[in-house]
Amino acid sequence: MKFSLKRYLLRIRSIVFGILIISILPPLLIGYNSMLTAKAWAFSIDNIEFSLFPDIFDKYKYSMTIFFASLFIGLIIAMILTFVTTLLPKFIQRLIFGFLTLFESLPDLFIAVALQVSVIYIFKRTGWLVADVTMFFNKPIYLLPIITLSILPTIQLFKMTLLLMKEEQDKPYVTVAKAMGLGRLYITLRHVFRNIITSLFQYYKSIFVFMLSNLFIVEYVFNLNGFMIAFLYSRGVAFVVTALILALPFSLVFELVESYAGSANRQEREEAA
Amino acid sequence: MILKTFMQPSFLFGFLFILVLLIFSYHWPAIFDVNKEKSLELLTNKYNDEGTVIAVPPFKPSDVPPFGTDVAGKNLFYQIIDGAKYTILIAFGIAFFRVFVSVVIALYSPKSKISYLDDLVQATLYIPGTILAYMLMTALFSKQAMEPMSSTKLIIMQFFILIMIGVLPLISTFSNEINSLLNKDYIVSTIALGSKKTYVYYKHVLPELTEKLVLVFAQQMIQSLILLAHLGVLAVFIGGSVTLFMGEPLEPIPFPIPIEGEWAGIIGMSFAKLQVTPWAVLFPLAFFAVTIFAMNLMIRGIQNSFEVKSRNSGVIK
Repeated sequence: MKFSLKRYLLRIRSIVFGILIISILPPLLIGYNSMLTAKAWAFSIDNIEFSLFPDIFDKYKYSMTIFFASLFIGLIIAMILTFVTTLLPKFIQRLIFGFLTLFESLPDLFIAVALQVSVIYIFKRTGWLVADVTMFFNKPIYLLPIITLSILPTIQLFKMTLLLMKEEQDKPYVTVAKAMGLGRLYITLRHVFRNIITSLFQYYKSIFVFMLSNLFIVEYVFNLNGFMIAFLYSRGVAFVVTALILALPFSLVFELVESYAGSANRQEREEAA
Repeated sequence: MILKTFMQPSFLFGFLFILVLLIFSYHWPAIFDVNKEKSLELLTNKYNDEGTVIAVPPFKPSDVPPFGTDVAGKNLFYQIIDGAKYTILIAFGIAFFRVFVSVVIALYSPKSKISYLDDLVQATLYIPGTILAYMLMTALFSKQAMEPMSSTKLIIMQFFILIMIGVLPLISTFSNEINSLLNKDYIVSTIALGSKKTYVYYKHVLPELTEKLVLVFAQQMIQSLILLAHLGVLAVFIGGSVTLFMGEPLEPIPFPIPIEGEWAGIIGMSFAKLQVTPWAVLFPLAFFAVTIFAMNLMIRGIQNSFEVKSRNSGVIK
């Protein structure tokens, strides 16, 4: 399946229609139109009005920096952890898996609030500020939001790769490699890992969506004044524009990944046949 | 089948936890042997024997064990125990109606493609559920401020919003699932032999769907719990809120207080004063986390029991 512009345009059309329908839902369902009083190209946070352009691009850049930084950090840490875990004995692996279910259940809100409170607690006790906990005079902060946002994706990716690893380890090619006398480390690193990374692409959509929701909570708790907060408070035209700014690049990414993963999967199927 | 699911230790553990929490929530005045009104009233300053003030509300967890009090001075532990039933039942209701409505719609027209629906599903992917819910809820509150409505009507409207948000993606998953089931050989031949559609759905499609339905229901319950917590932080409460004015008489600070006592309300009420009473936010959130963990355990138990079943049926074949 190659990337086709026509399919992408069709997808964009449905996204635009969907966002338009959603943007008129409040007056449609509830019968109260808050857009009548608001300006079209502005959004207001706590009764202070911001114009949509060009502020939104700065916010977008800032939020996406945090988003992708935490995504990559999460991915790398999950890979390293998986790698270490596969070399450990079996019962420790099961123990780790149990703990992952526990940590996975933590709401994003809990992690954000707990980190913020603990940083302040450390500061109060020792006078050592680990990282800035909130935005002050619009000076952007990076460290704490990125750490907070990367925790849950790390756990989820770690769990997924562990599961995939388990599946992969029973496959014939691993047995053959073992029979050939290759070391466990070499097989895992050279063969199993590659296959896992391609199968990990199946879950990209759920991880992206999950992280967008997390990003919103992180921005709200750390008072980051980022893109998702602008998204939250915008209505009407501003809502449509912000939603489109968010949706269009991501849909392009999804489309590219899908065409790539689709071709990889087909290749696998052909090889299997 | 149900017995087998209950035999799974992880399911049993999660189920028992939620059951015990609900029992405590309904009967806590009797269990702890306290007066309900008295233990939920606002606490005033604490004095020592000589009559000097030793502590003022909000009390720390060390002053009023085990969890301290919230900003206003209400005992947090009793509030959390009392709110458990509302929280769990609200999440249960939302998840149940989401699954129910989407299955009914998907069964009603599995093959016809509703294009508007696909558009909406495509778009909701990029708009977090919390933002969508907040947008609709604020419109609802603005309307309520202009033309007051009864709290029952408000709660019903809020339920409707929370259910509708989750229904759309579920319809598309279920209709895909049902479509693939309807294309199976034995169902095609059953229809070709002239059985009624309702019979086929009732006899063949729904039993095949059971596993998926139960799992989706549990996942939806977790999602609604998280959504409730998020909305609580955004000061959107189920059942609306009363705004009290605190602070100096000349500079009143609006302070929304939720009417219903669910956990999200406790979080939202204390969130603005996070640095004063961090425990009043962290303890309810921890309860959310533990409840979600119990749900996850139940999901694992259900998955295990279905795996055992499919393995056994494979042996028989």
